[in-house]
Amino acid sequence: MPTVPGTSHPVDAFVRARLVREGLTPSREADRRTLLRRLSIDLTGLVPTPEELAAYVGDQSPEAYERQVDRLLASPCYGERMAQQWLALAHYADSHGQDQDRARPNAWPYRDYLIRSFNHDKPYPLFVREQVAGDILFPGDPGALEATGFLAAGPWDESGLRDIREDALDRITAQYLDRDDIVSSTFSVFMGLTVGCARCHDHKFDPIPQADYYALQAVFAGTDKAERTYDADPAVASARTALAKRLEEARAWRTNPGLALANPSATAAVQLLQASHSRSEASWMIPEPLGWKSGQGATLKVLPDRSILSMGKRPEKDTTTVCLALRAGPISSVRLEVIPDETLPLNGPGRCDNGNLHLSEIRLKLSGKALKIATAMADFDQTDWGIAKAIDGNPDTAWGIHPQVGKAHQAIFLLARPVEAGPSSELEVELDQLHGRGHLIGRLRLAVSGDSSLAPGDWRPFAPEIAAILARPEKARTDAQRAELRIVALEQQLQGELDKLPVRRKVYCGTSQYSPEGSFKPALLGRPVHLLRRGDSRKPGEEAVPGALSALGFPSRFPATLGKPEGERRMALAGWLSHADNGLLWRVMANRVWAQHFGDGIVSTPNDLGKMGGTPSHPELLEWLASEFKNRQGSLKALHRLVVTSSTYRQVSSHRDECAAKDAGNRLLWRMSRQRLDAETVRDALLQVSGRLDGTLYGPPVKLYVETASVHVTPQADYLAFNPDGAGANRRSLYRFIFRTRPDPFLGALDCPDASQSVPTRTESASPLQALALWNNANMLKSAEHLAERARGLDPSVAGSVAVATRLLLLREPTPAESSAWTTHARKHGLASVCRVLLNTSEFLYVD
Amino acid sequence: MATGPANRRQALQAAGGLGMLALDHLLRADAGAIQPHHAPRVRRVIQLFLNGGVSQMDTFDHKPELEKRHGQTVDLGLKAAATSVPGPMMKSPFPWKRHGQCGRWVTDRLPHLARQVDRLAFLMGMASRTSVHGPASYLANTGFQLPGFPCAGAWIGYALGRLTDNLPTFVVLPDSRGLPYNGMGNFAAGFLPATHQGTVIHPDSPVPIPDLQADRRAHFANAAESADGLSLLRDANQRFANDRPGDSRLRARLGMYEMAARMQASAPEAFDLSRESARTQEAYGANRPGHEGSFARNCLLARRLVERGTRFVQVWSGAGGASNNWDNHTSIPDELPPICRQVDQPAAALLEDLAARGLLADTLVLWTTEFGRMPFTQGSVGRDHNGDTSVAWMAGAGVKGGTAIGSSDEFSYQAAEGKTSIHDLHATVLHLMGIDHEKLTVLQNGANRRLTDVHGHVLTDLLL
Repeated sequence: MPTVPGTSHPVDAFVRARLVREGLTPSREADRRTLLRRLSIDLTGLVPTPEELAAYVGDQSPEAYERQVDRLLASPCYGERMAQQWLALAHYADSHGQDQDRARPNAWPYRDYLIRSFNHDKPYPLFVREQVAGDILFPGDPGALEATGFLAAGPWDESGLRDIREDALDRITAQYLDRDDIVSSTFSVFMGLTVGCARCHDHKFDPIPQADYYALQAVFAGTDKAERTYDADPAVASARTALAKRLEEARAWRTNPGLALANPSATAAVQLLQASHSRSEASWMIPEPLGWKSGQGATLKVLPDRSILSMGKRPEKDTTTVCLALRAGPISSVRLEVIPDETLPLNGPGRCDNGNLHLSEIRLKLSGKALKIATAMADFDQTDWGIAKAIDGNPDTAWGIHPQVGKAHQAIFLLARPVEAGPSSELEVELDQLHGRGHLIGRLRLAVSGDSSLAPGDWRPFAPEIAAILARPEKARTDAQRAELRIVALEQQLQGELDKLPVRRKVYCGTSQYSPEGSFKPALLGRPVHLLRRGDSRKPGEEAVPGALSALGFPSRFPATLGKPEGERRMALAGWLSHADNGLLWRVMANRVWAQHFGDGIVSTPNDLGKMGGTPSHPELLEWLASEFKNRQGSLKALHRLVVTSSTYRQVSSHRDECAAKDAGNRLLWRMSRQRLDAETVRDALLQVSGRLDGTLYGPPVKLYVETASVHVTPQADYLAFNPDGAGANRRSLYRFIFRTRPDPFLGALDCPDASQSVPTRTESASPLQALALWNNANMLKSAEHLAERARGLDPSVAGSVAVATRLLLLREPTPAESSAWTTHARKHGLASVCRVLLNTSEFLYVD
Repeated sequence: MATGPANRRQALQAAGGLGMLALDHLLRADAGAIQPHHAPRVRRVIQLFLNGGVSQMDTFDHKPELEKRHGQTVDLGLKAAATSVPGPMMKSPFPWKRHGQCGRWVTDRLPHLARQVDRLAFLMGMASRTSVHGPASYLANTGFQLPGFPCAGAWIGYALGRLTDNLPTFVVLPDSRGLPYNGMGNFAAGFLPATHQGTVIHPDSPVPIPDLQADRRAHFANAAESADGLSLLRDANQRFANDRPGDSRLRARLGMYEMAARMQASAPEAFDLSRESARTQEAYGANRPGHEGSFARNCLLARRLVERGTRFVQVWSGAGGASNNWDNHTSIPDELPPICRQVDQPAAALLEDLAARGLLADTLVLWTTEFGRMPFTQGSVGRDHNGDTSVAWMAGAGVKGGTAIGSSDEFSYQAAEGKTSIHDLHATVLHLMGIDHEKLTVLQNGANRRLTDVHGHVLTDLLL
């Protein structure tokens, strides 16, 4: 570290040594108003209140400034501010982007993970490792899983990766492009390197051969962007794991029935099963069908057992409506039996050629009034076609029974609330079968029950052969039957306990643990990745081995992960990134923190510290900051504190001709750099000064637009029609729903990035369109009205309310000339008009 | 009215110190980032973008071989197209004729454009790199398949600056039925300053440009209030800038509000098509009601905008989705004719009108789509996506009319001779505007980015 007389802070020593060398002098310290505004915006993204400023100004202690630093670092808004910036780095959004820009309703847990991690000051290497492989490194830890939202934060090409044919070449191309997004993002964000250049050829400037790039692609060979379910509570997660394990053990007895017969715990389960089965069986009533209709012209016939058989024309899709005569009394559940019949293909119970059926949705109406279904259970679910899909409101998903065709199955639907049927009530049941290709129900029968004392687990339907065993006297059962009964009873019991656990959450993340959607399905061991000549997926070369960059001097290939679950590869990469010899990890983040405070990094290109990046203005300082960051166990709060307590940070931003002549761009930091508030901070500050900011932390995103359906997957978003006083309108900007291809025009006019690529620092543009947004947008005008109202509430006189508004916005009193001009204007056009002006001032929109 | 980049740059230099990084951005917003590399022939561009993938063998790419082999199964070595398995070969259901001096084949579904062929220079074998709408539309607009890169209109505005203070430099006129595939992503500024993104104008909407007027729900806002307020703001911002010498951004903010006020005053006149004669409106077909005449009205508006100094106008035909665009998977005979009808007469009228007014002397008109379609059937009479060949054309300043470059194979399945790409077309457009496409670069995340990536050749054969 250089020694410079009169400096005690190491940061200043580095900066001043250079200033001295260049014949420059530092600037004086800024006043407290300027300092607090700067510090508050930098650390929390919020403007200070007049009260906060008064407290600081009144604090005579020599540590007054440091106290403010500590106060702001301890504020939960610190985590929000840091998360906001990290989201732009991760190019996070709440929708897929591309031509089918579908919403991602469960992306936000990653955003909340970021806020918590920053507020808890999570050690940086851990923060990095969790985002790359948290699910594998810390299984069962919900936060670590949410962290992998990083890998999925970027866009996703739904057409290319899900909808086009699996065997089309474009599918392969789309997979390479999707992995390219993950690879590029990971390396830009954590390593400050542009590896994408090596997609077509060895990197021209940095030592990144093409083989390294494809090694990285191979790391993510099985990482898909998809929704994964998880327990938000680790205790529930372990209970679930334990139950699942017992369930698996019980099922394993089928290969060795002796174990089932020897196990005492199953006896009680069998008794319970027997009892609840008798009760539930007794409670079912099979009403007489009064009416039956096929929406698409199939012929329906009622059989003597009150079941309904579908015959004749087999439509592609159908909706069957059945109307049932009820007796007076309560109804708490409805049962659907699908029954084999020799007239059906493979005996049914479906009409599809393979005997299957798909129930897309079921709807119940009691005398015309819709009944809400709470839960659905079936004795058998086709893989990925579970019974829950018949009540999910999505016509594209359904319940199926393949390959268990040729036998009866049943599904039970529990109502959210029991209802009372009158003596002439009718129950209308609508059964959508919309999958196509004749996936219709062949023969069905409906029953109702009013016994609401039975718990969901008691109702669990099971296969008819089990019912037959139960119907036999105990003595008449064979050993095999007894064993099967014990297994089923335990299955029922354990499944019942699993069902009682809290509903699992979902997070959109980089994973192979997800339910397939059509031909978009997991590749648990990774898909083959080849080195592509000239980056062309039509020209695959040799298969790539997972790995990272070879030029850093520590092992860079992970051959042992081949043939293992895909997560192993990510875990190896997480280890590589946090390797003790990887100094770049620390330098990149230290430079980001610096850039956040000075508007420009020590290296001006925070996403590229390679040869194409900028030349560092203070290379030794960057090295020192990186090593301090490392020595302090990767504490970001410590790093921020180190930077903002320097005199360099506390300088005024005033221009001096003699210094500007030598260093007009202020690369050497002879003064502070003035910065414009970024788009999100402008919006948050508007809410804040007008007294509307809703400080709620976390949660699902808020749509700041009016959404309407369109002919296409991507809905229409009207931002101008959104009510700026509407629900959720007062949340901080980082909680807004970020819609990739329909970005917020107000924030966009203020240079808010559109989440299509990693953005390390904001550009600052000035255009007539920006002026129109600032002058005319509802966000501004409504804030002006609210601010005026707030100011009038605090001081009803015109001159007084002008002064209050000035204080709230600019943290100062108006000058006599301002007071006179603004008061005159307020008398003529109202106080809101003065507020409109104040909100547009450079003084409000810039930080000195 | 129009001020050359050099003048503007000098004016700004006089107004405040140069050299700050941030000022650099402002300058780019205000004028061009570069001095033209050579004398430009084109000052403005109108791009007609046909969203969904125009069927080339049903519009401009005549294939007698397809007529011969109609209904036959031909093994092209392709397992699967994007959304279907290859069906038998399908000839175009429409009659064809040669047109103009150049004798170019055009289907009878485009009778008006057929009369313009001697003005057009065709790229007959233009290949994409993908057959998926998302990446293909990004590629056709930005030169890259992934989102996040600036589109051609943004690059041009960035490079050359604006021709007028009264209107946005880069305007997008979407189909009245909605935004195309990729939405605003196709018109984005990427890593260039946000100023350069396309300004979307909805001429039929009460709010044609967002925030052109004060939000109606703010009852206090009115014209007199706004004028007095802007004057008060100018005083405050002037004082703030005076106290902070050396920061040209603060001065630029003063100008920004003045320009906004001018745009507010003059834009409504530019959008007002009723100022056009009935004859002109009829020539475009602008009086056809609703969506049927919307593309026509947008073409007419595009002419009014370029006439008034907008540099780059993109007129879109077709919104994203399964119908009412060029993505004719189900039925070429049923789906293609209506969308052709909406576009054919207006596009031809635009060329005629530009020529009649002398605007074609420095205006370039482009016809582009994201990819072509397959020679075989999808279902019974539809066609699937085909990234391997499609047709584009150019007309106007510097362009040799009645010419063509390249061709597809006998079935129009793949580009065969003289294969071209969007990078070639972009290189050519930049060339006509005085820009060497290899020299227009911006450093972003460690790479010198270009509109043409690392590709692109100027198509000199098509130029005068």
